Amino acid sequence: MASVHESLYFNPMMTNGVVHANVFGVKDWVTPYKITVLMLLDEMTISTSITLLDRRRLNKLILPLLQSPDMTLSQLIKTVEDSCPQLAYTVHLRLQLMADGELKDMEHFFDMLPSPFNETESEAHKTSVVGLFMRHMVLAYNKLSFSQVYKLYTALQQYYQSYERKDSPTAEPAEDTDMELTNTEELGGKMEKEELDLEPSDDEVSTRGPLSQKQAEYFLAQQAYLLKNDENKALDPAALQKELNNMLKFNPDFAEAHYLSYLNSMRVQDIFNSTDSLLHYFDRLILPGGDSKSNGDEGCGRSLRYAALNLAALHCRFGHYQQAELALQEAIRIAQESNDHVCLQHCLSWLYLLEQMKGSDSTLTEHAVKMAVHFCLPYLASLGIQSLVQQGAVGGKTANKLMDALKDTDLLHWKHSLSELIDISIAQKTAIWRMYGKSTMALQQAQVLLSMNSLEPVNLGVQQNNSEAFAVALCHLSELHAEQGLFAAASEILKHLRERFPPHSQHAKLWMLCDQKIQFDRAMNDGKYHMADSLVMGIAALSKTEGLYRKALVLKARNQTTEAYKVLQRLLLYCEKIKGTEMTIRVMLSLAELHWSSSCHAVALPLLLRSLAVSREYHLQYLASECILHLAFSQLMLGIPEQALNILHMAIEPILAHGALLDKGRAMLLVAKCQIVTASSEPSKQQKTQALEVAVQNLEEAGTYFTKVDCKERVRDIYYLQARLYHSLGKTAERNKCAMLFRQHNQELPSQGVPLITRL
Amino acid sequence: MAALSSQFGDLVEIKKQLTVIIALCRERGLMHSVKWASELAFALDPLPMNELPPPPPFTEEDAQDLDAYSLAKSFFDLKEYDRAAYFLRGCRSQKAYFLYMYSRYLSGEKKKDDETVDSLGPLEKGQVKNESLRELRVELSKKHKARELDGFGLYLYGVVLRKLDLLKEAIDVFVEATHCLPLHWGAWLELCNLVENKEMLKSMSFPDTWMKDFFLAHIYTEMQMIEEALQKYQSLINVGFSKSTYIISQIAVAYHNIRDIDKALSMFNELREQDPYRIENMDTFSNLLYVRTMKPELSYLAHNLCDIDKYRVETCCVIGNYYSLRSQHEKAALYFQRALKLNPRCLGAWTLMGHEYMEMKNTSAAIQAYRHAIEVNKRDYRAWYGLGQTYEILKMPFYCLYYYRRAHQLRPNDSRMLVALGECYEKLNQLVEATKCYWRAYSVGDVERMALVKLAKLHEQLNESDQAAQCYVIYIKEIFECGELMEQVELSTAFRYLGQYYFKNKQYDDASICAQRCCNYNDAREEGKSLLRQISQVRGQGETSSSDLSLPFIFGPLSAKNTPVRRMSPLNLSSVTP
Repeated sequence: MASVHESLYFNPMMTNGVVHANVFGVKDWVTPYKITVLMLLDEMTISTSITLLDRRRLNKLILPLLQSPDMTLSQLIKTVEDSCPQLAYTVHLRLQLMADGELKDMEHFFDMLPSPFNETESEAHKTSVVGLFMRHMVLAYNKLSFSQVYKLYTALQQYYQSYERKDSPTAEPAEDTDMELTNTEELGGKMEKEELDLEPSDDEVSTRGPLSQKQAEYFLAQQAYLLKNDENKALDPAALQKELNNMLKFNPDFAEAHYLSYLNSMRVQDIFNSTDSLLHYFDRLILPGGDSKSNGDEGCGRSLRYAALNLAALHCRFGHYQQAELALQEAIRIAQESNDHVCLQHCLSWLYLLEQMKGSDSTLTEHAVKMAVHFCLPYLASLGIQSLVQQGAVGGKTANKLMDALKDTDLLHWKHSLSELIDISIAQKTAIWRMYGKSTMALQQAQVLLSMNSLEPVNLGVQQNNSEAFAVALCHLSELHAEQGLFAAASEILKHLRERFPPHSQHAKLWMLCDQKIQFDRAMNDGKYHMADSLVMGIAALSKTEGLYRKALVLKARNQTTEAYKVLQRLLLYCEKIKGTEMTIRVMLSLAELHWSSSCHAVALPLLLRSLAVSREYHLQYLASECILHLAFSQLMLGIPEQALNILHMAIEPILAHGALLDKGRAMLLVAKCQIVTASSEPSKQQKTQALEVAVQNLEEAGTYFTKVDCKERVRDIYYLQARLYHSLGKTAERNKCAMLFRQHNQELPSQGVPLITRL
Repeated sequence: MAALSSQFGDLVEIKKQLTVIIALCRERGLMHSVKWASELAFALDPLPMNELPPPPPFTEEDAQDLDAYSLAKSFFDLKEYDRAAYFLRGCRSQKAYFLYMYSRYLSGEKKKDDETVDSLGPLEKGQVKNESLRELRVELSKKHKARELDGFGLYLYGVVLRKLDLLKEAIDVFVEATHCLPLHWGAWLELCNLVENKEMLKSMSFPDTWMKDFFLAHIYTEMQMIEEALQKYQSLINVGFSKSTYIISQIAVAYHNIRDIDKALSMFNELREQDPYRIENMDTFSNLLYVRTMKPELSYLAHNLCDIDKYRVETCCVIGNYYSLRSQHEKAALYFQRALKLNPRCLGAWTLMGHEYMEMKNTSAAIQAYRHAIEVNKRDYRAWYGLGQTYEILKMPFYCLYYYRRAHQLRPNDSRMLVALGECYEKLNQLVEATKCYWRAYSVGDVERMALVKLAKLHEQLNESDQAAQCYVIYIKEIFECGELMEQVELSTAFRYLGQYYFKNKQYDDASICAQRCCNYNDAREEGKSLLRQISQVRGQGETSSSDLSLPFIFGPLSAKNTPVRRMSPLNLSSVTP
């Protein structure tokens, strides 16, 4: 029966019901790979013929070799060859001798290893990295039992033989030093190719054999770092999970692996596994007594608090706000009971975040920030300030105060090297400038963030990280480019975003929305309303208000006025409720446009004035100029073009400086229209001609703007106007040319219900 | 009644078959199957001399291999597997071939176990493999393709496949083995471990023999389909296996699983009588004794088992339970640890150790122990439940919800998890969810009889007085039906509430009955009296009581025929507590 042969093993590491993996300090043990590394180190100390340059390269190699997972011999030898071919050959030779020899060769090798304790001068000093490694190895070797020693030796032989087998069909590179020296380049190239071939196969990862505790720790740290900073460089979720499962199978007490598994599951939005791993991690973490001394308070309670807090964070990430709130309440209660102000402060910032996500307007008080400073939590403090700034920006605080506050936090960040918050701060500045309608400043800030070197130590080839701040900045950048009609550049940026934040990742929604918005705008400009309509669904899935607004725009463009009006009214109410100022103003403008289409220009005026007042109150310069444009148009239609021209002068400057191409075009067109109307009332004929010529020029300018953003309908209308003007100026050739162009465009385009003359 | 195979009519034939298979298994060193078959054979009447089956046919090949086989078998019995395999190399008879392969397999397993202790590091432990498995698989699969394997060979092939984690193939081979040699219990038992759910079981075809009924009963027990299992076992007993200790123990375990403690205890007592030196399943027995706090019996059992063999997992668990009952939790934990040292995959011990640490208020150690239990078996609901309790004690009701939910998933019809879930929701002030949990707990058959009272109190809090009254009425009825008058506190609160409720609804007769009942309890006496006074006052004012809803008491002379409980059937309630 099967139960007879169930494996019976006794776990010596269990005391008091709790398994301690490290009761005997078994962190590391001898493997064939490590013996080879030991040989390498030994050779390095003995050999005198290594040049200084080679030695430097080798020294740089040592740490990765000690920390990385076990490599196969061919990999190892190739790595060493890169630095010093001669040494690689010697090591290979020594290993060959040992593997082909007898057990006593290995025993002899360990006897002959330079003892770190005697040689105070050498690199293998007892406290150095190398010395420590050697001591670990010697200790581990001496602990081996009789059968284990033999097992190790057979493992060594296999290790060497598998290399031989793999190498024998190829041109045995290690046989001849001379040949190798001449062929280094070719070999190097070959090796790189081979390595590239080897890297991505995950079979390689899983067949590498068990990791020692140290290697496992290093692996986890590395992967966690990559997950945080450059997700794409980390192993892909499936492979990483496989590796972690492997690790946990052999050592279930490796709690950190559970945490990484939690992070990994979050990448693929797997709530079930991530909850399981998170709770498992904290179950494992809750250790008695031992840890409490270092923490200063009772260790168990501490991890409990943070367990609840992390659970809240998890639910928050998955959008389960009610659950998150319950978990958070629990964390707060436990923290309060044990007077843990630091934890409480963390809870407070989460609470604030949660309230914000739920859409209710809670305010993080300045008091909270002060408390954070008091408890020396610079991270939380400046995070708090940033939240306050955001609130202030949305709430219409003056720009100088906001920028001042941001400057203060920047000081804090640089002082404490909080690179993450520096990124956020810059991204925030970008967003604020953009909101104010200063596209140049926004552009500049975005560029600053992108070209800034991260403060994190530059290793593993990670230059920049993949935080939300980067996503935000890049999205702004692409939108700004699209506004200026540089669609190729915008799509290039979006392509980069797609690579850096793959669709399953956390911040992918940002660029998805941005991408669809740009496409929508293009479709609208081009008059392809069916395309725009199909995009509305996608936008609505990502952002409800935005989707509704765009839907109204499509309806309006299709002259379904009643439906559009209904949607806009609903949206207006909603936006006023959630205090979305920008959207409110946009909606009011759209409503005003609806009034125009039913020729109620007078009705539109109070709406426009109200939106102008609001946008001035909140310093939204861009929207303010938009309002003025609308106002001017209304006035034009109401027959007071002089007044319209007057107020247009206020708006034209900021629009030309910061506005999108489309807006520039519209502004110029409006100016031209006003000029034409006023020209008719000019007394002298000469003055009239002059005014009309200026208008033609302005139309020309507007035309170039519209061409750049593919606004064919508007271009057509410009041609029409130009033709009429040239006609009244008596310039027949120009007139005919414009008329012909108009005809060409008109044939291409279906005629719309709204004549463009009566449109802004 | 589950239909049994028709072959049960002929017990003599069954007995003969058992005798044959015992001999065959013994020749091949399959000791557990021998044990099982012998136990069963022992339960049947002995055969007369002339009915004894003839020894299995002796072929030419057998004769050739006889000497090598005898030598090897003696080595095999002495656990010198390599030596046995060496002398069996060239043998061609089926018997010798099986023993040859089996010794190679066991030798690999033994070496693997030895290696595990001696491996280079903890992370390498999982990597230790039975090196011979691969070769065995290749050889056996060749034979399998050539159809040269007999029932035992197929069994061994299946075991090898299972050890190599090729579960699908293993299941197919085991099914084939049962068709080829239905009498070999080992193959059936392997299937029990491999079949995961009902659907899988239904999709498989088994030989139509009497063994199949034993198999089905066993697997029903494993799958917690206790009703079906009990039916099967009962019919097996009826057929004539009433003396089988195997069946008795299985029935006892089944009763234990559905928490029918009295029946389980009586079964175990019967088992102890018939087989006093039995150690298997005694840990389950001790659990039952523990639940019933039968100290002297548990103490006797512990001492008895300790006399028989103190280095058995079961013995250690029993002693642990014994100490736990005596509130010597440190010692109890020690014994559970010892059990784990004897077999680290012993799941019950991890969970029990967790309980002990809970008693000692060592929550972190308890959590660790429970986690280990879950690692061994993810489906251990007691460990999940224990984890939940631990966090509940640490006052983290939201956090423990997850654990209770897991436990509930595993045992959807266990009221304890539901009550625990309800309590957590109550603490989180999510009363609607809590009512759902309590109602469900009541519907699946509440063990502790607390769900209804809690539900009633919740309805009180939610100001749903009708539902609250209904719950109390059902509660009181259930308590009186059982004839248990232990939970007086809750009864008095129920009467108190009902009295007030009827009084408010102007059903003075019922109110006064409730008030009178209240007077029977110390803590509600005063209120009962004052209520009675109020009632008499109101009646004094000349109002005639309109009692269209009279009280549901089985004991009162008034209401013997007219119990509104029937009208307020649980179905009514379900509409208000969705």
